[in-house]
Amino acid sequence: MKHLKPINIKAQKIGQSVDSLEEDVVALQQQPRPHVPMGCTLSFSPGWEVDAGGGTAGLCQPVERDIYDCYVTCFWPVQVPDHVNYSPDWASNCAAATKDWRNLDLVFP
Amino acid sequence: MTKLRPSGGSGGLKFPVVKTLVSTLIGATLGLAAPARADTLLLGTYPDKMFTVDEASGAIKERIQLAAGLPTSMRLSNDGKRIYITTITTSGMVVLDSATRKILNQFSLNTPTTRYRFNGGVPDPTGRYFYTQLIRFDKEADRYKVSKPMYAVIDLQLKKVTRSAEVDAEDDTLGGYRSTFMMSPDGKTLYLFRDKVLVLDAATLKVVERLDLAKPETTGMENVSFAGGVEGLQNPNEYVSLFNAADPYIHNKIFGLGRFDLTHRKFDFTPIGPVPTAMSGLEITPDGKNGYAVVTNGTLGNKRCEIWHFEMASTKLLDKAEFHCRSRFTFGMSGNGEKLYIYGASYDIEVYDAKTLKLDRTWDLGADATMAGMLILK
Repeated sequence: MKHLKPINIKAQKIGQSVDSLEEDVVALQQQPRPHVPMGCTLSFSPGWEVDAGGGTAGLCQPVERDIYDCYVTCFWPVQVPDHVNYSPDWASNCAAATKDWRNLDLVFP
Repeated sequence: MTKLRPSGGSGGLKFPVVKTLVSTLIGATLGLAAPARADTLLLGTYPDKMFTVDEASGAIKERIQLAAGLPTSMRLSNDGKRIYITTITTSGMVVLDSATRKILNQFSLNTPTTRYRFNGGVPDPTGRYFYTQLIRFDKEADRYKVSKPMYAVIDLQLKKVTRSAEVDAEDDTLGGYRSTFMMSPDGKTLYLFRDKVLVLDAATLKVVERLDLAKPETTGMENVSFAGGVEGLQNPNEYVSLFNAADPYIHNKIFGLGRFDLTHRKFDFTPIGPVPTAMSGLEITPDGKNGYAVVTNGTLGNKRCEIWHFEMASTKLLDKAEFHCRSRFTFGMSGNGEKLYIYGASYDIEVYDAKTLKLDRTWDLGADATMAGMLILK
């Protein structure tokens, strides 16, 4: 498309379609990193109740001590709701997760 | 001689001058014996509050409700009169009066179709504008549009983002999201501290200079990085921080104090000692004589933590003591330098005696602390 210039609406749409394909397909590891919405949907690290090394020895004890910062930063995206997009009120009735976890709200997908 | 007439009723004190002198001496004596002045801690807590805590007793003095949501960062103005808080729940800004702890201004940047994500920043000298780095999300008819990271100016009077400029591709890293921002005293230059120091023109939000700390002409060291600011040594004219670095020959890791002149853009590094694995702190007592840091060796289940106590004049390690550290924590110091705090990832603050490095007591806040950190209010 470098040597052709679209002059009508249909040709412009074809050009935009080609351009969008070139820009949209990027890998998450690619540098510079792709820009994705901040939230838990595209967060994969680390998974189910494991620490950054894949074990459990580095977890907070009890794990509820650290669950709120995971809630904000999507560190456990499977079992902790997404604060920034869908569940801002999950912890509204529970200031200390270790003590009051029964007061956490229920989240239904 | 009217000034030296007998004052009467004061026992053996016949002259006001003598009485005043004795009173002064007694007062001075009592002053030496009195306990050190206690300050107030300010920290963010879940789900949407700021707590003020009396440093003498550990009692919670105030629970400040934030309609803007969960606090994620705090910034004290250079004159110490205002506190700028960012929140994540509503992409909010809150301005507190540091003396009265009253909310002066509070708003959300979000609209039904636009959201922002940002964390931290710096106010300009006038206190009207807040400089930060953010990402903007626009909800359109058929999709969400995600912006590239942008430097932005939030007008605290108009309560919206008034200026922004995309971050250059070479500076576009996730690390920029939590970079430390500083501003020159004249308000014309913005600085971001990370692996490089980015110098921006505050008027255009364009990078005018990149100071690569790993280049020989800059520091003569490699893998240089700034950690958090050293609160006890901050002043409006320079950014004082713990730094980690390595020499370029045998790659020996060291840490020390880094000072960056915000007017003349000059560095000054004072190496203190070797870094075993990782280090956080450094907290300096108000008299500048003693410094404390937490040294971590090992990772995950093998992690061991020690508090290191330095004499700052000679940068000599005076004492160290192992303590039971959490998987994730933040290190802090009381306003009078007599207590050390371990907090974060929990609802409590562990208080250590700065002289003995022993656990003194634990303060139960009844609410988990956020990652906004802690401020000491005088």
